Amino acid sequence: MSTHHSDPLAHPEVQQASAARYIVGFGTTMILMLAALVITLQRRLPYVPFAESIAGLALLSLFSQAALFFGLDISRAQIWKSVSLVLTIPLFIITIGITVWMFNTLYARTMLPGDMMMTQPTLLQ
Amino acid sequence: MATKIAAGAETLLWHHGAEGHDTISARTLGFWLYMMSDALIFASLFAAYGVLDNPFNAAGGPIAQQVVHPLEGFWQTIAVLGSVLAYSLATVALKNGSKIGVVHGILGAIVLAVVFLGFEAHDLLGLIAQGDGPQRSGFLSVFFMMIASHGLHMVFGILWMLVMLVQVARSGFTGDVVARLLNLRLFWQFQASVWVCVYVYVYLLGGF
Repeated sequence: MSTHHSDPLAHPEVQQASAARYIVGFGTTMILMLAALVITLQRRLPYVPFAESIAGLALLSLFSQAALFFGLDISRAQIWKSVSLVLTIPLFIITIGITVWMFNTLYARTMLPGDMMMTQPTLLQ
Repeated sequence: MATKIAAGAETLLWHHGAEGHDTISARTLGFWLYMMSDALIFASLFAAYGVLDNPFNAAGGPIAQQVVHPLEGFWQTIAVLGSVLAYSLATVALKNGSKIGVVHGILGAIVLAVVFLGFEAHDLLGLIAQGDGPQRSGFLSVFFMMIASHGLHMVFGILWMLVMLVQVARSGFTGDVVARLLNLRLFWQFQASVWVCVYVYVYLLGGF
């Protein structure tokens, strides 16, 4: 990551900018989000396959943004950003996944009549 | 008599004068780590939303399906991603040393961010006007909190861009200004990533 330049514009993170990469990143994300929108509006899939489909499209979109917008990779200039992101991902899963699972179980056992929970599907149903 | 050398004793772990991060890299890495912690704030909001998004927590009020509109959310997606693209292209102009290119890119990003916030304000104020404000139910509280938190990030991003317009005009591309422009790029691109999660989790799942 070290450089010996005195010109800040010669810094690797400045030189990393690429119009083509950004335009492809924008286009990819828009196409993926449009596909997710179409799946939602068509209402052809049952809830679980629908949720899995749009979650998959969102993941693909996030990967494309990480690679094309943020320019994350394992190069010397980016490795620590990539590592810190990878190490943060389990925290997202723990925070969101376990909390939703825990409360979903709690609702089902103690707080809600069963038929109320069935009127609208939740993330885990 | 042979001298025993502990395993790994000859491995060079560090030495004086070793090359560390340069100033710009250290600043962008530090800011990136801050953004990871900011992302965990959003993770907490997503967790709360996942818990409160059911009819019981709507307390007789509207549920997600009645307050979100997937198609309207898509216009917001275009606006926020367009804004991120405009700012990203400003950093391409930065690479080429073009002050006017940087200024135009930032102005484009600001305009599209204001359009995005206009959509968002219209939605939230409309809900409040019909009596479905954040105090109406647990679900609406977390819905407003989620949308407003992202919107607040966008507002601060716009303010930051306005400051950078002044700094670029007055100081040019000094080391400090370039580091701030790079950090702002990370911050702004991060808003697009968060919005994709909000759009899918709130607008699309909720609109099903």
